[in-house]
Amino acid sequence: MSDVATSAPTSSAGRGSLGASLPAGSGTAIVLLGAWLLLIVVSGLHRGDFLSHQTLLAVTFTMAVTGVLAVAQALVGISGGILDLSQPTSLILSAAVVSHYLEAGMPVPVAVLLGIAVGAAWGLFNAVVIVVGKLNPIIVTLGTNFIGQAVMLLVYQNAQAPISSPLTAFGQSYFLGLPNIWWPMVILVLVVGYLLPRTRYGRHAIAVGGNRFAAQARGISLKKTRYAIFTISGGIVGAAGVLFAASSGPFGPSAGSTYQLPVIAAVILAGVSLAGGRGSIWMILLSIGFLSTVPTSLVFFGFSSNWQAVFQGLVLIVAVAIDGWRAKRLQR
Amino acid sequence: MTNRTVRRAVATLATVAVAAALTGGATVPAQAFKLGMAVGGLPALDWMKAQGDVANALAKRRGWDYVELSNNNDAATAVKNADIFIQDKVDAVIEFNGQPSVNPVLAQKLGAAHIPVVTYDIAQKGFYFVGIDNQAAGIAGGKALGEIAKAKWNCQPDLVLSSEGAGAGIVNTWRTGGMRDGLKQVCPDIPADKWISFEGNGQAAVALPAARDVLAAHPDAKKILVVGLNDGGVLGAIQAAEQLGRADDIIGWGQDGSYITGNNVDPHLAGSVFYFLEGYAVYALRDVIDKIAAGNPPPMKDDAGDPASRVEPCPVSAAEAAKIPDMPERVKQLLAAPAGTTEYELFCPKKG
Repeated sequence: MSDVATSAPTSSAGRGSLGASLPAGSGTAIVLLGAWLLLIVVSGLHRGDFLSHQTLLAVTFTMAVTGVLAVAQALVGISGGILDLSQPTSLILSAAVVSHYLEAGMPVPVAVLLGIAVGAAWGLFNAVVIVVGKLNPIIVTLGTNFIGQAVMLLVYQNAQAPISSPLTAFGQSYFLGLPNIWWPMVILVLVVGYLLPRTRYGRHAIAVGGNRFAAQARGISLKKTRYAIFTISGGIVGAAGVLFAASSGPFGPSAGSTYQLPVIAAVILAGVSLAGGRGSIWMILLSIGFLSTVPTSLVFFGFSSNWQAVFQGLVLIVAVAIDGWRAKRLQR
Repeated sequence: MTNRTVRRAVATLATVAVAAALTGGATVPAQAFKLGMAVGGLPALDWMKAQGDVANALAKRRGWDYVELSNNNDAATAVKNADIFIQDKVDAVIEFNGQPSVNPVLAQKLGAAHIPVVTYDIAQKGFYFVGIDNQAAGIAGGKALGEIAKAKWNCQPDLVLSSEGAGAGIVNTWRTGGMRDGLKQVCPDIPADKWISFEGNGQAAVALPAARDVLAAHPDAKKILVVGLNDGGVLGAIQAAEQLGRADDIIGWGQDGSYITGNNVDPHLAGSVFYFLEGYAVYALRDVIDKIAAGNPPPMKDDAGDPASRVEPCPVSAAEAAKIPDMPERVKQLLAAPAGTTEYELFCPKKG
């Protein structure tokens, strides 16, 4: 696993023989994988038709956009930016831009690049406010999310990528039996998870998130890192917006808010510390897989869709508790 | 009577005589009736602006003064606008307030100023209710979908999905429940276990993942019907079926006509129910405000179930919807029509 940390000790010494023999972060992976498999087995035992291609499609479609957003959120978290609460606005803004330009007849690649660029610009805007104003990122992004949604409400009611667009066809089709939009998420998780601890900029982000004073003492610019991470993270949210536009049908300015809770829960469950400096991007595949299976499983158990938010909220609370427990354990 | 008093009386009489001569003996004309209109104020919603345009045109045609303010979809602005209407001494107000939490405040302020108020679609005690009969709209849509199910599947669907919008409260009960009732009127023998509800919140983006899970849990359903609060909620279920490779297994009928016109209509959305929101002023003036202006106010009817003026719902198939003019053209034709003519009468293909 690519669990990364700078300020926190990663040695597993003293955790017993199993802990000593496994790489850092393996415990989280084992727990997540175990929980996911348990959920699948129990659901399958309850209803045999749970183990079907239809369920696989439902879960993987759910994973796609949420997973991409979780990667962006994890980058912010690992770099010490805590959370980007403006993701819902950035997601919809990018999706609306892509839809608008496709409607206007622009070629798909250009519209897609524009959508990603808008997301990156939104991230840069957040970074400017945070860095120049020396403000708390979580408060700033909470504010920009409200502002963005309010402005979008004034500008448009609904957007939709044209039904006849190749992007829509891409968003509704499959590759190797799984949704097309699922594969970019998997590739992104693997690539970002590989690059983050192995590139200079990635290590700077981890260092700043772990201990910014120590990072500054080593000559790492906090400002430059903030600008870079928020811009890259924004670009990734823009990519999520493209996938959202490809697969969602008509959407209004507030449509992104349903992603906020599962994305934050997935990031924390994946072991990304809200205190920064620690977390595995690869683990997001497991946390998103588990969290995306929960709503489908609930329906098989006969729960109405109204229960999904209840379970998501519970999972978030449990995840935050686990994060707090991890932090205390590491301090000891 | 003293000389001084006599001189004063003579001077007063002379002044009155001069004034009468200058005005030609005519009486001072009464002030024109003044209508205030608070539009919803979401610029992206063309029909909100059109509601004001139609009210303005109809008021001008009657020789009334017209004052239009925008609520900006904001509760505080709606309250401020009520104060402005009171200061401006309007004789009646039409409210489309998308923030009904402050409607009691508006009712208290405008009521204290004795200004009668018409409200569109959102009922408030003390306001004349002008709006759609949501129950009838639901039943009409459900019956239309039932006719398709009868012709195509002999009234034997494997699954009937209801895309609920609980946040809309009683309106959801009327519309979504009404659609189920209408469907049952045509297909009365659909077993109870075939009816599944999920929360779609009236948005495709919310309905889609919820419907996707429901459909995954019913992998053998090949004949699926969808009803719901509005077109968006129904479309979410249709798109979920498309994602699961079951697009040809599903037929939906929506409400509100949002996604049944234009060049981006999903082929599995079989129809919807039009309300012609932009033309509500015809009903409001014809049935309420004209009578107030004539000094003969109608009895207060502030209940959506027993409205001061009922807007007729218009169920249309996708093919019929394609022939209905776009909104600017509809407004143009509405204003050119004889007084009191509604868009339902002008454009609805299947008038009841």
